[in-house]
Amino acid sequence: MELARTRAGKALSGPRTGGKDLVFKVVLGFICTVIFLLIVYPLYFIVIASFSDSTLVSTGKVLFYPKGISFFGYQEIFKDARIWTGYRNTVFYTLFGTLVNMVFTMPAAYVLSRREFRARRVIMFLFVVTMFFNGGLIPTYLLMKDLHMTNTIWVFILPFCVNVFYLIIARTFFENSLPQELHEAAVIDGCSHFTFFFKVALPLSKALISVIGLYYLVGHWNDFFTALIYIRDNELQPLQIILRDILLSNQVFAGGAGTGGDGGGYAQRYADQIKYGVIIVSTLPILIIYPFIQKYFEKGVMIGSIKG
Amino acid sequence: MPSRKGLQVLKRDYQLWIMILPAIIVVLIFNYIPMYGIQLAFRDYDFSKGLTGGEWRGLAYFQQFIDSYLFTDLMRNTFMISLASIVLGFPAPIVLALILNQIRRKKMKQLMQTTVYLPHFISVIVLVGMLNVLLSSETGVVGHFMKSIGLGHINLLASTSTFIPVYVLSDIWQHCGWNSIIYLAALSTIDPQLYDAAKIDGASRWQTIRYVDIPALVPAIIILFILSMGNILSTGFEKIFLMQNSLNLPVSEVIATYVYKIGIVSNQFSLASAIGLFNTLINFVFLFAMNAISKRASQTSLF
Amino acid sequence: MRKKVTVFTSFVIIAAMLLSGCGSGGASNKASEAAGEASGEKVKLTAIMTKHPLTKPLKEMEWLRQVEEAAGVEIEWQEITSDWGQKKGTMLASGDIPDLFIGPNVITDADFAQFQGLFQDLSTMLDQAPNVQTMFKEKPETKLIATQPDGKIYGLPKYQRFWPSSAQRQYINQKWLDELGLDMPTTWDELYEVLVAFKEKDANGNGDPNDEIPMDWPGGIGGYFNPAVLLGSMGVTLSDGNAEGYFVEGGQVKNFLIDDRYKTMVAFLNKLYKAGLINKEVFTHDYTKFQSVARGEGDIAKVGFTWGWVASDRFGEQLAPQYASMSPLKVSADYTGKLGWSYDHYNLNYGVNHIVMSAKTKHKEAAMRFINEMYDPKVGMQVLFGSIGPNIKDNGDGSYTVLPPAKAEMDPGTWKWTSTMADHGAFYIPDSLKLTLGKDMQEVLTQSEPLKEAQEIDLDNDIFPALFIKYSTMDNNILSLNNTNVMNLADSSFAKWVTKGGIEAEWDAYVKEAQKAGITQNLEIMQKYYEEYKSKQ
Repeated sequence: MELARTRAGKALSGPRTGGKDLVFKVVLGFICTVIFLLIVYPLYFIVIASFSDSTLVSTGKVLFYPKGISFFGYQEIFKDARIWTGYRNTVFYTLFGTLVNMVFTMPAAYVLSRREFRARRVIMFLFVVTMFFNGGLIPTYLLMKDLHMTNTIWVFILPFCVNVFYLIIARTFFENSLPQELHEAAVIDGCSHFTFFFKVALPLSKALISVIGLYYLVGHWNDFFTALIYIRDNELQPLQIILRDILLSNQVFAGGAGTGGDGGGYAQRYADQIKYGVIIVSTLPILIIYPFIQKYFEKGVMIGSIKG
Repeated sequence: MPSRKGLQVLKRDYQLWIMILPAIIVVLIFNYIPMYGIQLAFRDYDFSKGLTGGEWRGLAYFQQFIDSYLFTDLMRNTFMISLASIVLGFPAPIVLALILNQIRRKKMKQLMQTTVYLPHFISVIVLVGMLNVLLSSETGVVGHFMKSIGLGHINLLASTSTFIPVYVLSDIWQHCGWNSIIYLAALSTIDPQLYDAAKIDGASRWQTIRYVDIPALVPAIIILFILSMGNILSTGFEKIFLMQNSLNLPVSEVIATYVYKIGIVSNQFSLASAIGLFNTLINFVFLFAMNAISKRASQTSLF
Repeated sequence: MRKKVTVFTSFVIIAAMLLSGCGSGGASNKASEAAGEASGEKVKLTAIMTKHPLTKPLKEMEWLRQVEEAAGVEIEWQEITSDWGQKKGTMLASGDIPDLFIGPNVITDADFAQFQGLFQDLSTMLDQAPNVQTMFKEKPETKLIATQPDGKIYGLPKYQRFWPSSAQRQYINQKWLDELGLDMPTTWDELYEVLVAFKEKDANGNGDPNDEIPMDWPGGIGGYFNPAVLLGSMGVTLSDGNAEGYFVEGGQVKNFLIDDRYKTMVAFLNKLYKAGLINKEVFTHDYTKFQSVARGEGDIAKVGFTWGWVASDRFGEQLAPQYASMSPLKVSADYTGKLGWSYDHYNLNYGVNHIVMSAKTKHKEAAMRFINEMYDPKVGMQVLFGSIGPNIKDNGDGSYTVLPPAKAEMDPGTWKWTSTMADHGAFYIPDSLKLTLGKDMQEVLTQSEPLKEAQEIDLDNDIFPALFIKYSTMDNNILSLNNTNVMNLADSSFAKWVTKGGIEAEWDAYVKEAQKAGITQNLEIMQKYYEEYKSKQ
């Protein structure tokens, strides 16, 4: 598998077009470097700001290396006991939620990609409408209440487990990466839709599955709104709600501006330094999974050869 | 006859129905049942009589919004911001994916991919805080840079002419990498035989991009473009709200921030519903039009 | 074929799993409710508190435990520090609410009007709450604040007594004045001269003559710490944050945004800005930066003239001693009229709707017992400053002293907010209670001294009694809509005029536009309510 890829790569930079490709490589290298720096610098800034003195940060004194180092922000974040239940809950909602998402979305996307499926236009329309029209928060809340889903973990998992946007992406992929002939050949072999879906379509779509999975995963990871509206029990709160609470305290100071004798310098600094730390704490875990998913983009390259 | 034929089709397709039924059920329950709430846009909200019991007001709330003092400003600002976002923001991840796909060294490629997708996780509050620090004309990195190349004191955050560029470019910075993932996945499904064929034809790398990579992205591009047209009036709220200041207000007041400011969030459910529905209808019209155009031109469509 | 079966069963299993999940969740909820009622002794209540983000978990507050004990209730608290507005809307509209709410204006008058029947009318239950009755008797205005137009009482106010009559104080760097041999300015012209000296000379003495920022404020026009207080130089007295420009003068409701004195002030600010005396980033910096800049570097101050709550908060403990609190300036040396300032007494000392009861609660008596305990004077001071013991010292002779922070690195303000519900709680502190305040509050009161003269106000004719006025839902919506439109215009015009000038040429058109945007309509509405209020007095 690796071989085919490198062969393709080598072939393209072969001797015949060498001169042109050198220019191409230089330009490519330059562009990549620029992009890299443009993106990395602000990220680097967040990291150094998370343990620098916040007064120095906001007055532009911290630009290339940390100053007035203190880990006060992190201390405050991890001092909050809710962080750990938050982590636990979020990991659970994310994994379980994504699983349910995939189970509901992938088969549906496959079905909608089948051109011989008569109802597909109607159903597609039915789905697309929900991207635009919704009844609003109150009727939705009342429904969740009637289903006894408020203040339970199910409200994170089940209600909107089919994201129409991702469904459409998945359908487009199935349409374009599963050649019609492949299915026809399979049908002649007496292959049912179930078998085809599980034996052919899914294995050939690892790249797609990993992308949609990642989208859902990150969606769950970052979701605070569900908890904001439907969850009252502290034990069920996800990480993002807790971090948002910590983060928004900064805004509170801005709005209240010291009236009523509240937060002095100590409180202000607390809030500022914390906001950069929060990003690091909430992002690191999700970074870990990305390389695993990336792997499948590479493997996806091999679809053609399996088929061939 | 037709019913028998229908039965045959059903027999043929029953597995497909089983596969799609869970999704349909979930959508019917959670998306369609609450839709009765839409009528709130045409009714007064009366708590004691329930959601659907208030007095019927017809289009009064729509009228109220359209007649409002800032209506034309709001529409113009909202359109301008999302238009700029689409024009600049839509192609960016495609280009980025093509570039990333050209990197041959595996480690480099992984490093680049991981880096570009990172900013997606920064919350809006921090992003805007960071813009304030970095773009400050007096003390920020960008301020220093502009001074050093002789542009002097331009306060990027404080001008009506720089608000949209700053908004759109920072958005691209933040989400371009993330949005490129889908295109990267599409590129990874390209049949290596096509590359071989290109090689045999003596194609340069540029030509390979042009004739192999881009065509492979076209279906995804079309679908995503249609969908993005369906967001023409949805600018998002938080980032614009946090970036607003007295100096850029003439271009930065959009429907979402206005709705927030007139205190609709907590109380005026009917007006909020009407404005929401108004947005939705315009979005939907754009999506529908785009879908129809695309269906004619490329046979690719949502439905 | 086997494949088909497994797939099908897996769907069935998932469906079953999900359904049973929902079912059991619901059942267990009901079970716990039933158990709550059965376990006689202590009544279980649910409550929401919108607390300050710094505030520690309510469970850890000693005084609250005692209050619950005394009232014979056990409260399950939901503690909210952000996004309350968003949560509240759905919660109220769905009718799915807890027994009690505590927090500053936690449920608004507009909510009471809109969600008829959702909240308990407390006026019929006051006989069960002698402490609340005492408050109403000793401070009749609290009853006025609490009573809705139809005579019902849904939310109870707080009264915290100690706060100064203005939230804003005016500061100048006295050390810089001394270094440069200048006198404290008393007029705008003198202020201009002083600020020019701050800019041109190395006022902070660090060798760099260009790092001084002569004047700074948070950013807008209205709202605390913004330059609208300069209108006091021409006799305007603002009140309660004056965010949208409304004020009362001689019994007439006015808006300074279309007042000629405002024009004079903006022209003055433009003169300052052109001379480079105002922070270049005044309209773009966020609150964080605004605060940080004023804290200078070590003992080197950066800001010359600004407004704030108290010096130690505005400039940090280290620089605070360099700054002096000033009296209001006169617009010119020959001005003989009265000087105004900002009168925020009501806003700072009272708060509307700090505690609210659900009409659906099954244990109204118990909830009322809890409310009554909260309004006990001795409890009240603990709600505000923290428990007796760690936060307040009982002097044994019936008097009490607020203790300094237990953690040395914390300032008293932060300590208070961390320890207790503080200003967000519901309580009453009678004027008779003997309580010695902490250093931070004493500092505020001392620094308010220079404002004393300007704070002698004809309360009946020169202050808009915002706290006592209850608008109808419709008028409320109109006011808020118009204000949004007006502020959109006013904010951007103000910023433009200060930075680029041009107010002379554009003023008349602007006034017409502002009137069209709703100022006129709002003034009419407010005047109507104001007169109604006065006629009732």
